[in-house]
Amino acid sequence: MASPLISGAPGQTHLLLGNEAIVRGAVEAGIQFISCYPGTPSSEVPDTFFRLSPEAAYTFEYSVNEKVALEVGGGATLAGALTLVTMKHVGVNVAADPLMTLAYTGTPGGFVLLSADDPGCHSSQNEQDNRIYARLAGLPCLEPATAQEAKDMTVAALTLSRELGTPVLLRTTTRVNHLRGPVTLAEPVVLPAPAGFQKNPSRFVPIPAFARPMHLRLLDMLEKLRGLADTSPFNLVSGAGKVGVVASGISRAYLADALLEADLTGTVKVLDLGFTYPLPEKLLASFMDGLSTLLVLEELEPVLETEIRALAQRLGLSLTILGKTPGPLPRFGEFSVGLVAAALRAVLGLPVQETPGCQAEALPAPLPNRPPNLCVGCPHRATYVAVRKVYGDAAVYSSDIGCYTLGILPPLKAADFLLCMGSSISAGSGAAKAAGQDVVAFIGDSTFFHSGITGLVNALFNRHNLLVCILDNRTTAMTGHQPNPGVDKTNLGDNPVRVDIEKLVRGLGIEQLRKVNPLNHKATLGAIEELKGLTGVRVLIAEEPCPLFARRAYGQKRTQVAYVAKQCGQKGECGECLDILACPAFYKENGKVAIDPLLCSGCMLCLQLCPNIKARKGEGK
Amino acid sequence: MSALQKTRLRIFMTGVGGQGTLTATTLLARAAVAAGLPVTSGEIHGMAQRGGVVESTLLIGYKSPKIGPGEADILLGFEPLETLRALGYLKPGGLVLSSTEYLAPLSVATGKDTCPDLAAIKARVAACASSVRFLPCRSLGLEAGAVQSGNIALLGALCSLGALPFGVEVLAETIRATMKPKVAEVNLRALTLGAEHPA
Repeated sequence: MASPLISGAPGQTHLLLGNEAIVRGAVEAGIQFISCYPGTPSSEVPDTFFRLSPEAAYTFEYSVNEKVALEVGGGATLAGALTLVTMKHVGVNVAADPLMTLAYTGTPGGFVLLSADDPGCHSSQNEQDNRIYARLAGLPCLEPATAQEAKDMTVAALTLSRELGTPVLLRTTTRVNHLRGPVTLAEPVVLPAPAGFQKNPSRFVPIPAFARPMHLRLLDMLEKLRGLADTSPFNLVSGAGKVGVVASGISRAYLADALLEADLTGTVKVLDLGFTYPLPEKLLASFMDGLSTLLVLEELEPVLETEIRALAQRLGLSLTILGKTPGPLPRFGEFSVGLVAAALRAVLGLPVQETPGCQAEALPAPLPNRPPNLCVGCPHRATYVAVRKVYGDAAVYSSDIGCYTLGILPPLKAADFLLCMGSSISAGSGAAKAAGQDVVAFIGDSTFFHSGITGLVNALFNRHNLLVCILDNRTTAMTGHQPNPGVDKTNLGDNPVRVDIEKLVRGLGIEQLRKVNPLNHKATLGAIEELKGLTGVRVLIAEEPCPLFARRAYGQKRTQVAYVAKQCGQKGECGECLDILACPAFYKENGKVAIDPLLCSGCMLCLQLCPNIKARKGEGK
Repeated sequence: MSALQKTRLRIFMTGVGGQGTLTATTLLARAAVAAGLPVTSGEIHGMAQRGGVVESTLLIGYKSPKIGPGEADILLGFEPLETLRALGYLKPGGLVLSSTEYLAPLSVATGKDTCPDLAAIKARVAACASSVRFLPCRSLGLEAGAVQSGNIALLGALCSLGALPFGVEVLAETIRATMKPKVAEVNLRALTLGAEHPA
């Protein structure tokens, strides 16, 4: 069935995920080139482009990391293609180097960077505010709050960038990426084929003599953009009164609902800011005129608040500006309707209104938690069990970003520190050298390609001493089974150009390398023990496909499941398998250990740990 | 017009990763769009695929996709422990529909922790909600033909209570329009089983 995202007719209304709305917006703007590195909450954007690529006219790629994605996209726009590059907020750190210069050279074909921020750290290691990158790099910034706006602002951002030849930041947050709402479609534009790169070294090669005028050109561009922000249809004034509120991003939705519920709609003056940088100074000057108090609503850093306060000072206005410095709003986490309503009531001098929750009575004991866990049959669990058997708590476990970070939980406890994508090898190297501790670094296949290779080369060159375990599950599992350079299969078929990790590592000159299937427990244990006895850079490649992916992409079917044939210990009290594995298929009933045949994947790791666990016919999951 | 048939409505849904909570949410949102209602729906599922909690929302007449403590008019729990965990989101006097069938967290399954029993959960829910409906969702799903369709049984019960500004027919039509015929058949059966399940 043709997707409405590609072939939906103008005027139709569809329920779309925010990320799907961004895809449709790009299609309507005539998108020609998309590069990305996946990461929650951005992933559905590239995954949708990938899934629809057979029926669409654009070029799409999963790049190996965000820096590469931004550079590939940068080259495409220099050659005249209308380009979208997508990543999560921390990915922009990786891509920051090319980004800082892209606004100098300009983007002839048009270029939008989607940065999906994650206030509240729903699935990230920090909650950095990437609106600051707009200021640092000199990119105008648009921030949608609804699915319709996610589509409309993507069209506007791409169109604006193409018209002015300057890159634009489309900044979303988790709530916007992952909301669903009705979106009315418009007619897609069909652009002429990319014109090709037009040589002009003084414009495109930022040697110092050219970089200086490039910077001046960018500053002029930002003033021109400020004028466009002043008159943008995404910046709207409504209501009236002496109290004003400036709101941006998803805070605009919270404000609208807070006003609605308190029956205050129209009684305060509201400026909805969708085109948030450069700050629309003329619009704000007229908005602030006559106000006694201004409340600024923005999640995370007081970016707009600081800029608006500076503007008010410059204009000689004496209104009170409230936000986060000093308060009443927090500088961390997400906002909510309740939080915005409380701030609004405080500013309006209205009495505090409690929203009583339902747990009037405290619970007798905290409810059992349901933390995410490695799946049944996950090969990472098998590697961790083997490494723990050899090293126990004696090694420092330098972790990285992927499903395998879930190994942090007991009993595996296989994550002691973590900085960012690719840090396991390099940070592990430093930790090992500083105090001579045994360090084991864990890194997945996609993360290894992303930014582990440089760390490994560095470890070799600087003669570091650590064991690197490359957990190769043949896919990028955590973010939804996206392909990486090492995979055999993608969701759309075979990968014809597989980069072999073992050959790559051997090519660096690393001889202390063992490759195992981690589901073969004895062989894995043997390899780890052998590598433990050596010094220098040692590499274990633990290769076994993610079972979820293997079922879908390889059609893997296992024909046996495990069962507990006999309880261990004199009274059947042992349960060591539960304590070592934490496999979700295991449970205890009436004091007896059992394996749920409906959950068992048939990986057969447990059989190798306990002689009383046996295999029988069954369909592994 | 009853209090539950007002034009503004917040529904909070909670379940366990892999249960199909988000499928149910999207189906309900599509039905609301089909009924011409201004709908926003949200989901938080960063690492939830790995057996964690999945929470989602559906709001009619609001702009925000998020529901805060004490704000939900309706709480749909696809697993009883998660119903209890999410009870704080319910507006006092709201409506609760929940499955009675547990999916034990690992700590409970391995005997390291215990879950409150169903009687305790029911008592706590009854203390907050004005109206409550408990259903054996997994069993109803299996009866319909697929365990995941148990969620749709809960939606069927929701419709039968007249708690939504649209009827069970709109939901049935959405199932027919958006699912493959075989899957639709199972879900339509589940919808009816849920709608007709005795209180």
